Amino acid sequence: MKTGEGWEEVAFNNRDPVYLQVVRHFKEQIVTGRLAAGKVIPSRRELGALLKINPNTAQRAYKEMEERQLIVTEGNSPSRITVDENVLRAIRSELLGEAVEAFVASVRKIDVPVEELLELVKVKYSEQRSQSALPESGGNRDD
Amino acid sequence: MIEVNNIRKRYRLRKVLNGVSFTAEKGQITCLTGMNGAGKSTILKAIMGLTPLSGGHILIDGQPLNKLAYEKIAFIPDHLTMPLGMRLSEGLRFMDDFYANWDTGRADELMRFFRLESSDKIGNLSKGTAAKFNLVLGLAQNTDYVLMDEPFSGIDLFSRELISEVFSSHLIEDRGVLLTTHEIGDIEHLIDKAVIMDKGTIFRDFNCEEVRSEEGKSIVDIMREVYHA
Repeated sequence: MKTGEGWEEVAFNNRDPVYLQVVRHFKEQIVTGRLAAGKVIPSRRELGALLKINPNTAQRAYKEMEERQLIVTEGNSPSRITVDENVLRAIRSELLGEAVEAFVASVRKIDVPVEELLELVKVKYSEQRSQSALPESGGNRDD
Repeated sequence: MIEVNNIRKRYRLRKVLNGVSFTAEKGQITCLTGMNGAGKSTILKAIMGLTPLSGGHILIDGQPLNKLAYEKIAFIPDHLTMPLGMRLSEGLRFMDDFYANWDTGRADELMRFFRLESSDKIGNLSKGTAAKFNLVLGLAQNTDYVLMDEPFSGIDLFSRELISEVFSSHLIEDRGVLLTTHEIGDIEHLIDKAVIMDKGTIFRDFNCEEVRSEEGKSIVDIMREVYHA
């Protein structure tokens, strides 16, 4: 596995606390499966360098994640992503909830019956899924 | 900690600093920002004892300015002050001769990091490359504090990114950095504390993450409020 994978693409906005943006990035990585349960994460110093943030901010993000039991640190060994199913499930539903909320907020301005909306979502979603699945299936699909 | 207490400075009748107080902590990056002529550089010069003050005082780790305090602080001015005829390698040796706290290993590391060629002549460096070499000269001193005057001014985007990287590396970690800049946008997410100046006084100094979480504002937002721009 490549180091630094998925780390370079983080773009920080200037209005939300950076440490919370870092926590959010971790949650996204966990939910998308790029950071598996139990996986060792970079040290505070490494994370600072990877994300090009102040080491104090990296420290604060890790403290926040420790308090929320997203990551666990035992003794002197490196921190890992939690293996606690409940925490992992909670992160997933939190991110899903937020995404749905944002979607609803932006679509509410348009007057549309829920059935029509759901159908649109269904079509679009399966379209996107099959698209993103293509490169992974690989090989000669043309024949 | 660098403590600046109610310092005043006048050039003839013009008040350049009019009662300025703030602190810069070790292990933190503090940014002095403000429009041109706000007095940012004068403060750095005052901390280094390069300009006499009309009032107030400055403490470094509780001690007034003295010879020993200067072994604790490195100053990176806004231009390179080395003789132009020297090669970079000679410049490094020059620093080694004059500074007890010079760290040769760290100097080599910084030269590699900025991809500088030690056989180049200082006088032939482009502005951006000269700025990088200037940073090498300051950061290779093993000091608790580093003062930087406008490290980003007139430097291209990619060099700015390279310089910003230094701030999140072990080359800076645990040291106290006090820098001035009027282009804060690039480094907003890197700094711990901002001190906003206008016309020789401090408008506001604050912890950046606190302002983001309590007010949802960026540093530039706060500056806009200050200058009513």
